[in-house]
Amino acid sequence: MSRVRYFGRRILLSIPVLVLGGTFTFMVFRFSPVDPAAAIVGTAATEEGVAEYNRVRAELGLSQPVLDHYRAYMVDLFTLDLGQSWVVSQGTPVTELLNTYGLRTLWLTFWAVLIPIFVGIPLGVYAGLHANTKVDYAVSVFGIVWRAMPNFWLAIILLAVLSQSKSLLGFDWSGFIVDTSLIGTPDLTNLTTVDGFLEATKRILPPAIVLGSASMGSELRIARTAVLETINADYVENAKANGVPDRRVVWKHVLRNALVPLVPTVTNEAFLLIGGSVIVEVVFGIHGIGWLFFQAALNADMPLVTALVFVFIVVVVFINILQDVLYALIDPRVGYDAR
Amino acid sequence: MSDPLLSVENLRTTFHTDQETIRAVDGASFSVAPTETLGIVGESGSGKSVTARSILGLVEKPGRVHPDSAIRYHDPAFVQRIARAHPDATFWDDAVDDEPDEAFVTVHEGEQSGEKAVVERGSVDLVSAPDSVARQVRGSEIAMVSQDALSSLNPVYTVGNQIEELLGIHRGLSGREATETAEELLRNVGIPDPERRLREYPHQFSGGMQQRAVIALALACDPSVLVCDEPTTALDVTIQAQVLDLLARLKREQDLSVVFITHDIGVIAQVADSVAVMYAGEVVERAPVDRLFDAPKHPYTRGLLRSIPGLATTGDRLPTIEGSVPTPNEAATSCRFAPRCPEAFDACHEVHPDAVRVDGDRDSSADGDEPAGASGEHTAACLLYPSSLSTGERVERHGGDGRSGRTDRSSSARADGGTATDSEVSE
Amino acid sequence: MAGHTHSTDDRTRDEQPHARDDRPLSARVAETPRPAAIWLLGAAALLAVELGDIAGAVLSLGGMAVGAVAFSYSGTLSVATGGGTVGLVALAGVVVGFFVVGLGVATWTRVRALDRVTDRFSFRTRQLLDGVVFGAAVALATWVGVTAGVVEVLAAVGGVVQGLFRAVADLPTLTARETIPNRGYQTPDGTWHGTFLGLAPAYAWAVRVVVVYGYVAAALVWTWMGYLWYRAHYRRVDWTPRDDVVRRLRSHRWGQFGMVVTFLFLTLAVFAPSLATTTAQQNLYEPFSHSVTHYDAATDSVRETLVGTANLQTQSEGYAGANFGPMSYDQYDRFHPAGTLTNGKDLWTFLAYGARVSLVIGLLSIGVSAVLATVFSLFSAYYRGLVDLVLVVVGDTIMGVPRLLMLILLTVILSDTWIAGLYNGGILLALILAGTGWPFLWRSFRGPTLQIAEEEWVDAARSYGQSATGIMRLHMLPYLVGYLLIYSSLILGGVILAVAGLSFLGFGITAPTPEWGRAVNLGREYVASASWHISLIPGVMITLVVMGFNAMGDALRDAVDPKSDDGSASSTEADARGGGA
Repeated sequence: MSRVRYFGRRILLSIPVLVLGGTFTFMVFRFSPVDPAAAIVGTAATEEGVAEYNRVRAELGLSQPVLDHYRAYMVDLFTLDLGQSWVVSQGTPVTELLNTYGLRTLWLTFWAVLIPIFVGIPLGVYAGLHANTKVDYAVSVFGIVWRAMPNFWLAIILLAVLSQSKSLLGFDWSGFIVDTSLIGTPDLTNLTTVDGFLEATKRILPPAIVLGSASMGSELRIARTAVLETINADYVENAKANGVPDRRVVWKHVLRNALVPLVPTVTNEAFLLIGGSVIVEVVFGIHGIGWLFFQAALNADMPLVTALVFVFIVVVVFINILQDVLYALIDPRVGYDAR
Repeated sequence: MSDPLLSVENLRTTFHTDQETIRAVDGASFSVAPTETLGIVGESGSGKSVTARSILGLVEKPGRVHPDSAIRYHDPAFVQRIARAHPDATFWDDAVDDEPDEAFVTVHEGEQSGEKAVVERGSVDLVSAPDSVARQVRGSEIAMVSQDALSSLNPVYTVGNQIEELLGIHRGLSGREATETAEELLRNVGIPDPERRLREYPHQFSGGMQQRAVIALALACDPSVLVCDEPTTALDVTIQAQVLDLLARLKREQDLSVVFITHDIGVIAQVADSVAVMYAGEVVERAPVDRLFDAPKHPYTRGLLRSIPGLATTGDRLPTIEGSVPTPNEAATSCRFAPRCPEAFDACHEVHPDAVRVDGDRDSSADGDEPAGASGEHTAACLLYPSSLSTGERVERHGGDGRSGRTDRSSSARADGGTATDSEVSE
Repeated sequence: MAGHTHSTDDRTRDEQPHARDDRPLSARVAETPRPAAIWLLGAAALLAVELGDIAGAVLSLGGMAVGAVAFSYSGTLSVATGGGTVGLVALAGVVVGFFVVGLGVATWTRVRALDRVTDRFSFRTRQLLDGVVFGAAVALATWVGVTAGVVEVLAAVGGVVQGLFRAVADLPTLTARETIPNRGYQTPDGTWHGTFLGLAPAYAWAVRVVVVYGYVAAALVWTWMGYLWYRAHYRRVDWTPRDDVVRRLRSHRWGQFGMVVTFLFLTLAVFAPSLATTTAQQNLYEPFSHSVTHYDAATDSVRETLVGTANLQTQSEGYAGANFGPMSYDQYDRFHPAGTLTNGKDLWTFLAYGARVSLVIGLLSIGVSAVLATVFSLFSAYYRGLVDLVLVVVGDTIMGVPRLLMLILLTVILSDTWIAGLYNGGILLALILAGTGWPFLWRSFRGPTLQIAEEEWVDAARSYGQSATGIMRLHMLPYLVGYLLIYSSLILGGVILAVAGLSFLGFGITAPTPEWGRAVNLGREYVASASWHISLIPGVMITLVVMGFNAMGDALRDAVDPKSDDGSASSTEADARGGGA
């Protein structure tokens, strides 16, 4: 089948996933042991309390029959009318919250994806090209340890080290290049200026390193394996036999092929970051979406929680499709009933 | 007798691992004359493919080619170029056989004048030459066509890209010129609609077309020798015939020498001018193709020929050779084929046979001054030959003491003129 | 199959590829009785030394099982008779349950009730009807039994058995804390009272640790020797593919690291009561119901203080005066190999029992995930089409929600239910992990299972009337087992990280049940201070354990895959042969 049809099929399959996801959030909202209205209003037994409670229930749609509520709910979701937060930030529409908080998480995940790509993959490639040497061994062990380390632990250790950077590392991290504090949300309003950019980047680097640590370990290993496999491939030998110089063999033939398994890895890791950002944001005090979710769950702000879950599902579906697109671009064999 | 284009002398390639040492090629010698097709035939495990890779210098750790081996390339233009670039490593020889160790270029006829040296006859030993020299051979002089065509082609680049890459490296072509030449190459190997094909990926080609594409890649380098490692094994019989015809035509048109490696002796009959039969890393018989089929001397060759359906006499069982090829771990102290040989006798298990001439009725023990294995000669490494001698004399001739056990190694060195295996016991 | 270089040589020597001895096991043992006798003797000795513990374990497991049965029985009964939609659902569930049991009975006993009566239905229908008949029969039998008082008889018998076990469980064992006690007090003249041989608690504890690990190691080694001897003397065939797996494992250095770490972790979890310096009951759960005997310098006498009070005095709070670091004693003559927590409890005991919690949750969640994933992959590979599609969509959706968020969400909304009370949230966590984790396993299994389903023997089995479940069980499942082991060990590390992360955030296992992640959280603020041990040590342990499980999974994967033999040596051989030409 042609590549277009292949994509069409993938996109088509995403729709039931979204529907199912929406249904799931609906069920959580409607049927969970936690009463959304009670969480918002409290359980005062006074007359106003009860009246308020019923009013909130009606507004949330909980007093409608299940099927009506379901229909309304799903329509809202798919028209991106995500409601508002009731507890964490009373009355604020979810979309507005997404904007403010989402931007910070985006900044964090952007760096958390970039750093492993530019540190982990080159290290892995180097290890693969020099397999079974001491350097290879050291790099591999580093990748494995980095991947196994719990990121919450790494976070607090890094924080401790940086806060004592003067005595431990010899220089003061807070004053390094730009003046920043260790904990707290980076200011993203001045990204276009040099100073603002530097400050925001420096603030986000430690949490990004922590968030990306598991990804870095994985990508390092996969890059190494990919390089090892391609180096021994027949077409590499053939190219050498036909006189292609070694340098070009590595850069043109080996790397391009080693890239192929890396694309799904990078995108997989990217989507794993969505969940992991909660811990990092909590430890480093960054008020991003993960932190928002954490607060919402803690306070049983059901409308916000369920809206956020649906948003995450949408993002994941999008990343999956992106992954397929990238993969098809990288590997010309995709979409063909090969052999 | 003119020089061969490529001569291999006493090639030894071993692989060292923690568990064992594998002597994949253990003292093979043969040569290829200009515009000749040499067929190398043998079962799997006989060392044929390793031989091909050794010639092209593709053997990497943990394998290595023993420095005593010699792979000589005799193309005068090439030798001249190398002699000019490495005057210190050039040995100008007129009569003497031995050459000093550091020289990897030997000139037999020419004028020594440093940068402006002229070479009319000579050779470069690719084994002792540095990597930079060996790299100049790959592609431009000797190119390879492998067995699995699809995996020989890089799956993520178009076929055109890969051909033009080689054209750029070897012929300095680029852009429009390169594309046109690439089209021409594809057309020449029989791929229809080459303009479109250039822009396609390897997996979009059929099996036969892939093989043709690989041949086109090899030819893009403009080589003088084409080493084909089982190029038709994975193909349909009809496609196989087409590819063989193609190779024959190309060889004629471009004056190529071909080293054709296969296990299919029937294919050998079709394509080869001369044949080398390999067994367990050694060349056991060497002959022009007609002679080999008319009068095979080595029992192994005879067994191979008997096992071709159709060629054999009638009967209800196809004769086979019992057992399978051993993987040699140690230096040969006996005939490696002896365990499977129907004509083996006691000494075969104790004495290692050298290659001796078995030309026609003149099974002589006289040594020629060419290394054994030169074109046109018929040699076999078997204790049954030279048949004109008695058994005891034959055993002595091959290096035994006529009665039992130990071979006297040192006396069998070099004096026989060629292919005695060396006396070290292990690596 | 066998990919050695030498097999071909062997074959030319003697034509049989593998010798096969078809005599029964007893005959083979009788021929060379010595190895078997020695091994049995050793095994008996090892068992005898720990008989008490084994009996105790059986007792508690049995107790749990009986409790579960009784609970579900009474629970179902009350719910079913309670009425309303829930009651109806429960009733329906009971009916379905009996049907399934009946189906099981019908399949296993291969008794065909309906066959004798009529020939009219197809094989499948007959099976289903058999199920109904047998299910009804079982239901009837149960009802009769219950009303006739079978339950009381069973209870009485159970009581007798329990008493027996209890007697055995009271026997002293080698690895018990009482055998080598490490708690005592020190009088001013320097002697220790109450500890093993009068050694200082640190040494006594060290001795006990050595004994426990030594015992487990000895038991493992002995089992391994038994396997080797069996293979050499008594096994029917000369060689099986498993031998290759074992051979590959033996030379896999990274895998051996994994095995060592796994061994250390598992022993810690299983033998936590013996390896900890004190018991969880005393120190963690009910500190105010136990007391510690110590020598009080102030009053120059031996006193007893409540453990809880003692803990309050031994908190580690980051500065020199209030810190009890690793390998230290406190003023109550207690030894702390890993220091104390911010609430004064012993960190090592916390970690040892925490290992148990992690292990239980990990095994439970993976067990359930694996079962779900296996069943689903078998179904999806066998039936394909719509079934596969539905599973793909469901699996993708579940995988689509970020796991940690899902965990947080579900933990929060289910926090008030009775399940959350089990094991302080542990069981709930395990179930949620299983529910969110099966798609990953299933995806990994799907590939190989699809391949197997396409094999010809599956078609052959179908053609001669083998049932779907039969095919799945007999022809497809055995090939999955290898993959099961590999992927399970690979995700075990992830499960441990998830649980720790959740506990760190405060959502997972609640106090006082120990969990490593929570320890890290407790010590969060003190990382840069004198009490660095509270966060650092658990973190290091988590890292090591996860690395160990990953290493094991890698080693298993390399060992089971025959192509991986072409790792070092054989790929050279392939090269030497010119790449297989």
